[in-house]
Amino acid sequence: MRPFEYYSPRTLSEACNLLAEGEPDSKILAGGTDVLVEMRKSSAWSSKAIVDITRIPSLRGIGESGDWIIIKPLTTHTEVLHSDLVRTHAPLLQTAVSTIGSPQIRNRGTVGGNIMNAAACADTVPPLIALDAEIMLKSTSGERVIALSEFFVKPYVTVARRDEILVEVRFPKLPANARSSFVKLGRRNALSIARLSVAAVVCKDEAGVVTDARIVPGAAFPRWQRVPEAEKLLIGQKPSKELLVEGGKKVSEVMISFTGRRWSTEYKEPVIAVLVRRALEACE
Amino acid sequence: MVGKHKIIGKPERRVDAWGKVTGKAKYAEDYTVGHQLWGKVLRSKYPHAKILSIDTSKASELLGVEAVLTAREIPGSNVFGIVVKNQQILADERVRFLGDGVALVAAKSKEIADHALALIDVQYELLPVVSDPEEALRPGAPLIHGDTNEFVHHKVRKGDVAKGFAEADFTIERKFKTQFVEHAYIEPEAVLAEPAEQGGVKITGSVQNLFSSRRSVAEALGISLNRVQIIQSTLGGSFGGKDEVMTSMCCRAALLAGRTGKPVKMVNTREESMLESYKRHPYVLYYKWGAKKDGTITAMEIRVVADGGAYASMSPFVTWRSVVQATGPYYCENVKTDVYAAYTNNNYTGAMRGFGSPQVDFAIESMMDELAEAVGVTPLEIRMKNGFEGGAVTATGQKLAHTVSLKEVLSKAAQELGFEEKWRRYRDAKAVAKRRGVGLACSYRGVSLGAEGVDAAQTTVSVQTDGSVIVSSGVTDMGQGAQTQMAQITAEVLGISVDRIQFLNTNTSGVADSGPTVASRGTVMGGLAAKNAAEKVRATLLEVGSELTGTPVDALDLADNYLVNERTNERLASFGELTAACFNKGRPMIGLGWHKAPRTSWHEEEGKGDAYFTFVYGANAAEVEVDTETGRVNVIDFVSVHDVGKAINRAMVTGQMCGGVAMGLGYGLLEEFEIEAGIPKQLNFDEYLIPTSMDVPRIKTVIVENEDPAGPFGAKSVGEPTNELAAPAIVNAIYNATGKRVYEIPANLERVFLGHKLTRHDKRGSEQKNAFDAVMVESCKVRGGSE
Repeated sequence: MRPFEYYSPRTLSEACNLLAEGEPDSKILAGGTDVLVEMRKSSAWSSKAIVDITRIPSLRGIGESGDWIIIKPLTTHTEVLHSDLVRTHAPLLQTAVSTIGSPQIRNRGTVGGNIMNAAACADTVPPLIALDAEIMLKSTSGERVIALSEFFVKPYVTVARRDEILVEVRFPKLPANARSSFVKLGRRNALSIARLSVAAVVCKDEAGVVTDARIVPGAAFPRWQRVPEAEKLLIGQKPSKELLVEGGKKVSEVMISFTGRRWSTEYKEPVIAVLVRRALEACE
Repeated sequence: MVGKHKIIGKPERRVDAWGKVTGKAKYAEDYTVGHQLWGKVLRSKYPHAKILSIDTSKASELLGVEAVLTAREIPGSNVFGIVVKNQQILADERVRFLGDGVALVAAKSKEIADHALALIDVQYELLPVVSDPEEALRPGAPLIHGDTNEFVHHKVRKGDVAKGFAEADFTIERKFKTQFVEHAYIEPEAVLAEPAEQGGVKITGSVQNLFSSRRSVAEALGISLNRVQIIQSTLGGSFGGKDEVMTSMCCRAALLAGRTGKPVKMVNTREESMLESYKRHPYVLYYKWGAKKDGTITAMEIRVVADGGAYASMSPFVTWRSVVQATGPYYCENVKTDVYAAYTNNNYTGAMRGFGSPQVDFAIESMMDELAEAVGVTPLEIRMKNGFEGGAVTATGQKLAHTVSLKEVLSKAAQELGFEEKWRRYRDAKAVAKRRGVGLACSYRGVSLGAEGVDAAQTTVSVQTDGSVIVSSGVTDMGQGAQTQMAQITAEVLGISVDRIQFLNTNTSGVADSGPTVASRGTVMGGLAAKNAAEKVRATLLEVGSELTGTPVDALDLADNYLVNERTNERLASFGELTAACFNKGRPMIGLGWHKAPRTSWHEEEGKGDAYFTFVYGANAAEVEVDTETGRVNVIDFVSVHDVGKAINRAMVTGQMCGGVAMGLGYGLLEEFEIEAGIPKQLNFDEYLIPTSMDVPRIKTVIVENEDPAGPFGAKSVGEPTNELAAPAIVNAIYNATGKRVYEIPANLERVFLGHKLTRHDKRGSEQKNAFDAVMVESCKVRGGSE
């Protein structure tokens, strides 16, 4: 491990100042479940300073404001897992965090870290995009709010500047007529990185006709996004078994239109279709 | 004494339990002494290259660096190897795999040592890489050692296979492949080497086979064996894995300690451990069986190619066990088996729990299910038809003289799982997405080293004047419980409770060379030596007791920590009073126990022999659920049945059975140490996946006890047989569920769903350097998910 500077700011403005004026090549430490692992690998680790934001109390907690749920970035996955607000208003996010790592990792890892690390397999991201989440970034030059779906460029790369701190994740509560789901395929039953995943939200009117559908695959597209081509198939319809199969196939087609045929397509093409179908079935 | 055991067979608490659960056990890294330096290894940059020059000048000048060594500075022998001496402590002219060491640094801190490594300038000339064992055997392949890469060819010949195939109604011909597997011991390699008086060295470390490591250290330093003392620290797992890689580390640390005159500690990171350490052999197996319509097997022709990697290591012995056991416990009059091992530029492959059996068992047990299907009977029926019974003659011509319990373990495994009924029901079930299946696998396994080599061991029992006892043995404990077993055997013979016994970790200067603790020989060999030692002490104590009490020796017994009159059950003296009297009378307080295994034989040219002095039998039954739309397999129920002869400690036998199944489950479904063009792709457990507790199902264990006179109190082996059957049982269960057979393990998502492995098409070959850099960067940066 290379030597590095370590800062432990106690307020948000102190942290912003450090990032703006301190060592330019610094890394923010939240739960540490990614940072601490990467620090050991000298070949991949170039940061010269760590800014540990874990002692800034204002960055913790889950709350609500009108029709919105607000999750502060240092909230751990375990806290999300036990939150009544999330259970009531965003159950798919709860399902997703329950599949992250192990109890130890869920106790340390944070929602903010999961987003900012931007791994293609980040389990909170597909449900948050399906929830139409926004995030707020803060720096000495001010605050800005970005739709989460616009935040990612590609795996491990986001539009956040190096002096910005994620200070809030928020999303509208799911309407009462919404059903949601998160389906994940991993190689084992715990400590399992998503091979593929799907987050889905489906709203229906009293007649059972779909009024809103949101489908977000994980670890499948070059960047996370909803799949409007598939969502459109559902809207205005009463879902039949065949329709859900078709929805899955559509997502698979769209995936290939983005990625082209690659070494893993042989597997991903049929399987992502299955997972989408299952996610939609779970919303029935 | 048989029939009224007080301690044998009981779930006694392990002698090492308290230390381990309270954190007081001292593992190698916990040993720290004053003035200690940190040793680090500069490893190769390429899987195959000529070393043109090594410039250590900058590293030597760095403040805090106390020594930089290359192969040239080794005073004694730079080569080691138990069978073939072709492994180097430090590469001199050539590197043959990425884990080869090129130079050593000793410095005042780990960080300085790491920094110094970066300052060593090594110039290489790249050589062509061969990473596939079958390619390595073809003419024109890059040569790793000498003028051929084929360094093992074992054979077994019985009858006439041409005649056998002519008699067959049909043949089944299949190809199977198995993978590299990492031992995944929790504690990575670590040692502390201290210069000792009179020019010797004392090494404390995580070493499995202390005597072979000691031999290499003595040769490297150019000193006699009695000046090298290796003391085993408490081991955090080994599974066969802490042999050559630890020999190498012991030698390196000893060389640095010798050069600097200071203690030197070396500890591998997990990445260094996975990069350097040897693995389980990948095998390519070609099986051809001829059979009659009634299921009789008329011929077996088997060809196996093992990837030996860069060095011979244990390959000659591992593959020998494979050739002996390659036909499984089944009657067949005509057998022709050839097992080859080839050098490649991959990690070298050596001992790992199972030792050449898991690979062949996967092939044999898959073949057996295919035979059942071809004949139209159940997997249980085909095994009951062909399986060995008492007095059977094996493929190597050995007549089995012990209790052959194959059919007993098979029927118990099938019965516990409800195999026959489930197998039929699942086979005929509707084709839904998630399907259940059951699978069966069985084996016979030779106990201990067999005709591999000299097989003898020492255990010493020393009684103290207060009635406490010290036991030490050349057989080592690496977590498997050898100390507890030997303590129980000693306690049983001496009629004392186990808590009176203090077991010493093995010290090469304290006990005689007892060979390696491998081949599931700990209980049989160490245990019989312990029994022998304790019986000597017991005889002395009873004589003294007779003198003390005037009771004849044959009326005396030792029981419950007392000398008792066997007829009246009267307690005549406490065990402590008896040992004190023994001391006061000047009688020997120590028993030196020795056991040499019965004779075995092998004719390499004829491919025949009495390979092992006895065998054990086991059967596993697995129930799985396969998600046929994703290829995901969950093992939901499992039965493990083993005939262990006699369970010395039922809790530990059960532990071995469950651990073996968990490890075998990883082998069958998850684990794969992938090497591409000589470059390993996974160097830590984020990418190298072993089963978690969430992946291991309920395991029902059944201990079968047919006592065998070859072992202490009838006990035989349990460590390795438990590990060799889970993979084929699971693969057979997948077939029962899906109707599709997996011929390459692990049966991961892609292999189960597509029927083959997905391979990333990286550039390779001429752009070796770029490929290397790319893979290293990738394995550091990208973890899962993105592709």
